[in-house]
Amino acid sequence: MDILQNLLTTLEFIIQGLWITVWVTVVALVVGLVFGVLTALMRVYGNRFWRQVATVYSVVIRAVPVVVIIFILFFVIAEYVNLSPFLAGSLALGFASGAYQSEIFRGALQAVPAGQMTAARAIGMSKVQAIWSIVLPQALRLALPAWGNEATLVLKDSTLVFVVGVPEILRRTQQVSARTNEPFIAFGAAMLLYLGLTLLTTQFLGWVERRYRLQM
Amino acid sequence: MKKQAAIYLLLIVALLALGACTPVRPAATTTGGDAPAATGKLAEIQAAGKLVVGTSADYPPYESIDADGNFVGFDMDLIRAVGAELGVEVEIQDMPFDTLIASVQEGKIDAVIAAMQATAERDEQVDFTIPYRMTKDAFIGAGDTTIVIEQAEDAAGMSIGAQTGTVQERWIQETLVAAGLTAADQVSSYERADLAALDVANGRIELLLMDAEPAVALAEQNGLKILLITETTAEGGKSIAIPDGETELKAELDRIIQKLIDDGTVQRIQEENGLP
Amino acid sequence: MTTDPILRLENVHKSFGETHVLKGVSLTIQPRDVVVLVGPSGTGKSTLLRCINLLSPPTQGKIWLEEQEITAPGVNQDKVRQRIGMVFQDFNLFTHLTALGNVMVGLTRVRKMNKKEAYDLAMLELDRVGLVDRADHYPAQLSGGQKQRVAIARALGMDPHVMLFDEPTSALDPELTGEVLEVMQQLGQEGMTMMVVSHEMGFARRVASRIVFMEGGYIVEEGPPDQMFDAPRNERTREFLNKISSFEDNGQGE
Repeated sequence: MDILQNLLTTLEFIIQGLWITVWVTVVALVVGLVFGVLTALMRVYGNRFWRQVATVYSVVIRAVPVVVIIFILFFVIAEYVNLSPFLAGSLALGFASGAYQSEIFRGALQAVPAGQMTAARAIGMSKVQAIWSIVLPQALRLALPAWGNEATLVLKDSTLVFVVGVPEILRRTQQVSARTNEPFIAFGAAMLLYLGLTLLTTQFLGWVERRYRLQM
Repeated sequence: MKKQAAIYLLLIVALLALGACTPVRPAATTTGGDAPAATGKLAEIQAAGKLVVGTSADYPPYESIDADGNFVGFDMDLIRAVGAELGVEVEIQDMPFDTLIASVQEGKIDAVIAAMQATAERDEQVDFTIPYRMTKDAFIGAGDTTIVIEQAEDAAGMSIGAQTGTVQERWIQETLVAAGLTAADQVSSYERADLAALDVANGRIELLLMDAEPAVALAEQNGLKILLITETTAEGGKSIAIPDGETELKAELDRIIQKLIDDGTVQRIQEENGLP
Repeated sequence: MTTDPILRLENVHKSFGETHVLKGVSLTIQPRDVVVLVGPSGTGKSTLLRCINLLSPPTQGKIWLEEQEITAPGVNQDKVRQRIGMVFQDFNLFTHLTALGNVMVGLTRVRKMNKKEAYDLAMLELDRVGLVDRADHYPAQLSGGQKQRVAIARALGMDPHVMLFDEPTSALDPELTGEVLEVMQQLGQEGMTMMVVSHEMGFARRVASRIVFMEGGYIVEEGPPDQMFDAPRNERTREFLNKISSFEDNGQGE
């Protein structure tokens, strides 16, 4: 089959962007996890000042398009910190995702019954110890379904890093489409790749969820 | 509430401050001596032994990526020739066209080669070299036409079409009609070039004047004949963009481009990449 | 018998906003005492326990644990709580940890034991409450009675000087209360000092060294079980104990 052969060649070319997409997504998710958990903790357990800081972060970042954040990290701060396109792109995605993950983890922290904290304090744990070894482990498990959803969103948002020249899947698709003049095949191949990545991600997170499910 | 507003304000001010701090770059100094030592960006490039060039590799035949992932096309061949003259390696970075100017402004790349025209708007933000390729126009006639056009002015007195509001239309009005060589009612103005091509094929007009690059494909599709490719009717050309104020770099690149034009290199890679 | 008291409360008050729950409670508890706190709902029995281990510190008054005034400013409350075990009505087992993990987490995190020491001690405590064979079960896989016994083992692991029980059997089905009360009785016999908020009058009669009757934020009357059940001096004590004894099998909570 001609079309099949064509699709395979196209796929072979685009797949070179696959690892870039995967790494951008992984870095963004990890950065987002750290920011999300920290700001969620600040909002649930912090004093007035930290609550305000975390709320402002969440509100401002969610109000700004991700592309703008990418531009700020790549161009605006270039005089002070010269980030590579990959770092600027994935950090920006991470900051953005952190704001959404903050909401997820805030809800999860609040969903852990108050008695868990009380019981932890009753055996002499400090507040920090109680949060770290009792409340947070449960909150992370509760957050998993929503977090999995966020992970697939970040995977798709990773296409945005092309604006600063990171050759991920979508950019390679545009390149091959411009060369062969067969956008249908090029974007079809990209669709297959994203579909595969999303399925893998959800399968993996589903497994993690079953493995660590809280029985209440 | 008041405190929250204060924090918002602080954040916005911080962002603005970041944005407002326009980069302070050392002005490129030109030494008047006989053997000027290279300064500024040119010195940096020579010291690094590497010229980092941004392009938008989705515009064949100027720039694209082949199946093996190599940058190919007219611009790519040309910039490599420029690099060879400079004695440095050329590193090409792919970016969306819209972010190229900002990238060269912020020093993320040294130069841009992307079939880019030096418009007045862009010229305020960056500097441009002399054009390495002039824009060219084509006169098109019907497939079986006997008209011969050896230079642009030979079109005088014939019925002719052009796209509305283009430089080609302006050239017809200013050079042919205003001088009384062609009657005003001999000129037709079209919304789209393909409609004009149809009228040429039908014999409603004798000639069509348009940008040479799309003209090749259009002529082929409609069985028309390209009578002349010329720079006379066109304006401007494609240039390399470099950071603002880098006079030494501009001088050096201008010299190299002129040399490559003069020794026929530009002509040769133009043909190799199938450009008119 | 004049040993030093293990716990001493002096004029303890507790308010939540406008609500004045404890209105001046004074109480002295000797080592090996088993004190059962009784009284109608909302009289501040649970609040009193939470004041003692500083989960919600008193708004006024003083508390001494052994020689230390724990209500004094600058006291490390976490250290105080390590010496006071607490068992809750609704167990509050850590849902993400096994029975063993529930006992171990305090040993490794708070008492800073290494894994091996913590494991050995945790298994010992689980053995004390008869649940060694349930060590790797998660709370959701345990019955109510088993959960409460794990909670007791968790508290015991911290090597407390006093144990507080806040209605430990109220959330249990009647047929499951026995196993928990048995463990508590055992503890009392081993000499553990305990304060128990409970409506289990049978337990109170068998195990308590003293009964304390509270109403409306005050201690109304206290004394040994025989005297309290058979010859209370106060009319309100008599009424309440009569009523609660007749409902005993209903297992009603607050």
